[in-house]
Amino acid sequence: MKILIVEDEKELSKSMVTYLQRENYTCDVAYNFNDGRSKMESFDYDCILLDISLPDGNGLQILKELKGDDKLDGVIIISAKNSLDDKIAGLNLGADDYMAKPFHLSELSARIAAVIRRKRFQGSNVLVFNELTIDLLAKTVSVSNKPVDVTRKEYDLLLYLVSNKNRVISKNAIAENISGDNADLYDNFDFIYAHMKNLKKKLTAAGCEDYIKSIYGMGYKFTI
Amino acid sequence: MKLLQKTIRSYFVYSVIILLVAIPVFYFVIQGIVREDVDENLMNTKEILKPKIANALLHNNISQLNFLDHDITVSVSTALKEFDTLTTIEIFDTVARELVPYRVLTSYVIINGKPCILEVKTSLVDNEDLIQSIVKVQVILLLLLIVGLFIINRNLSKKIWMPFYTTLNTLKNYKVEKHEPLALSKSAITEFNDLNTSLQELTERTYQSYISQKEFTENASHEMQTPLAVFHSKLELLMQTMPLSQEQAELMSGLADAGQRMARLNKSLLLLTKIENSQFADKENISLNACIEKFILLYQPQINEKQITVENKITTDEILNANTALIEVLISNLLGNAIRHNYVGGRINIQLHLDELVIENTGRQTPLDETKIFERFQKESIDSNSIGLGLEMVNKVCSINQYEVAYQFINNLHSFTVRFNS
Repeated sequence: MKILIVEDEKELSKSMVTYLQRENYTCDVAYNFNDGRSKMESFDYDCILLDISLPDGNGLQILKELKGDDKLDGVIIISAKNSLDDKIAGLNLGADDYMAKPFHLSELSARIAAVIRRKRFQGSNVLVFNELTIDLLAKTVSVSNKPVDVTRKEYDLLLYLVSNKNRVISKNAIAENISGDNADLYDNFDFIYAHMKNLKKKLTAAGCEDYIKSIYGMGYKFTI
Repeated sequence: MKLLQKTIRSYFVYSVIILLVAIPVFYFVIQGIVREDVDENLMNTKEILKPKIANALLHNNISQLNFLDHDITVSVSTALKEFDTLTTIEIFDTVARELVPYRVLTSYVIINGKPCILEVKTSLVDNEDLIQSIVKVQVILLLLLIVGLFIINRNLSKKIWMPFYTTLNTLKNYKVEKHEPLALSKSAITEFNDLNTSLQELTERTYQSYISQKEFTENASHEMQTPLAVFHSKLELLMQTMPLSQEQAELMSGLADAGQRMARLNKSLLLLTKIENSQFADKENISLNACIEKFILLYQPQINEKQITVENKITTDEILNANTALIEVLISNLLGNAIRHNYVGGRINIQLHLDELVIENTGRQTPLDETKIFERFQKESIDSNSIGLGLEMVNKVCSINQYEVAYQFINNLHSFTVRFNS
């Protein structure tokens, strides 16, 4: 799967490339508006990560032209502005998602996966890891074809973990994924531990191998 | 004091002083002139009478001298004085039954070698009436003149100052963030035209600096967020490196927490700058109740986590005309603080009566310093998730909307009150 990263900050785009390549994505990089536009015109991508503020133009212009050409590439806007106007403008122009800097690479990876799944399978999709099956349309989890009763939060958590399989996801990233901007209202990360414990308990009780590992209290990893 | 009032008041004071001084002066001057005239007449009468009396006395004795005119009397004098005297006396008039002022000339004359007293008097009633009438007419004329001047002056001033008031009204409605050019009409008066031109230039300059400040905010955001994003991403990549020791993991966790706080701090500072720059100007009607309920629902996981009892005692709804984002900032910060600074098993009370929203929460047993809590970075909490900008945002939102916010510590409850003054 091919991804185009249009981002003028070289170090940041390098980080994204490194992280995404391990997910077996092929990454093309453009550091400016013109390069981004010509790459967008010449090739088809599964997903384009688009920074709005580029040194020689506005990323939204690329999005406009892309949609004008009836291209089906998924687009995730990456902006440092985090302004509602930009978000609305971007989504109105047909972007699939919007992320404000700074973001967690694990979150980015999960969102890319979601965009690609939506584009490729029109939203109907099932993820299978050995005995574990996640139905993305029905939002259900089953182990060896037997349904496991998980809460919405636990389902989201599991999906986030498998979207970054074999990666350490930091607790901060998990907290933000679960509760968004309100993560700072928790005194500590105990709530993550509680959710994680319940999820692991339910999966192992259903006969699933314990894929979720805690990494030295730093974060969690779905190992397969 | 209004401009027109000020000028009219000066005119008024001057007119009253003139009136108060002019009327008595006028009265006494007229009276003096009339009296002089009367006295002269009396003297003339005396001079005319003297030879006539002398002539009459040749044939009659003094007691037989009867004048048809009661105002003239002649009597024999024992002493002889050289000077005539003029006096004003009041004599009872039997016909009119009242005291009537008379001017009396007492003259000592020697008639046929005998000293005599000649008294000539004249009533002043008619003269007094005349003087009073003249003064009345004059007072009325003066009053008319002053009132007329007033009205003319006021109307003229109004007309002259009209462009000034138009400009003032336009200025009152001017909002720099909207950038509508000042629509100031041309005036026939140079000074007002100068004023308008200066104002137009001033607002344009203000707008330019507002824009550059806004751009600075955006640029600062961009410049800060990008290195933060790099920091975050590199740290995440570092977490993926193998082999990983416990010590490294702990160091990385610490870095991740610090990075997260920096990101949050930067975000809050930018939001605060945006609020200070009045970048949330669009107003609409918002249901306060719905907004509170939305945030209670949003914070439910945190509320459950701390086993906090939230008592929402709001029964009536308050519709606010304000910017939705700002009201959300207000409510989320107040409610968020009530959760963050609460203890496990604590309580939050939310009440609304008569435009007053009260959010109370249990927490620390000692009151906060109410003079400092609304200032930035004046945090009294040891909670590292608290960055010390929340209450300043609350304060800013309130001052923008002309709400009042106050803190009290009653019955071991930290209580924040927002008065909406709708």
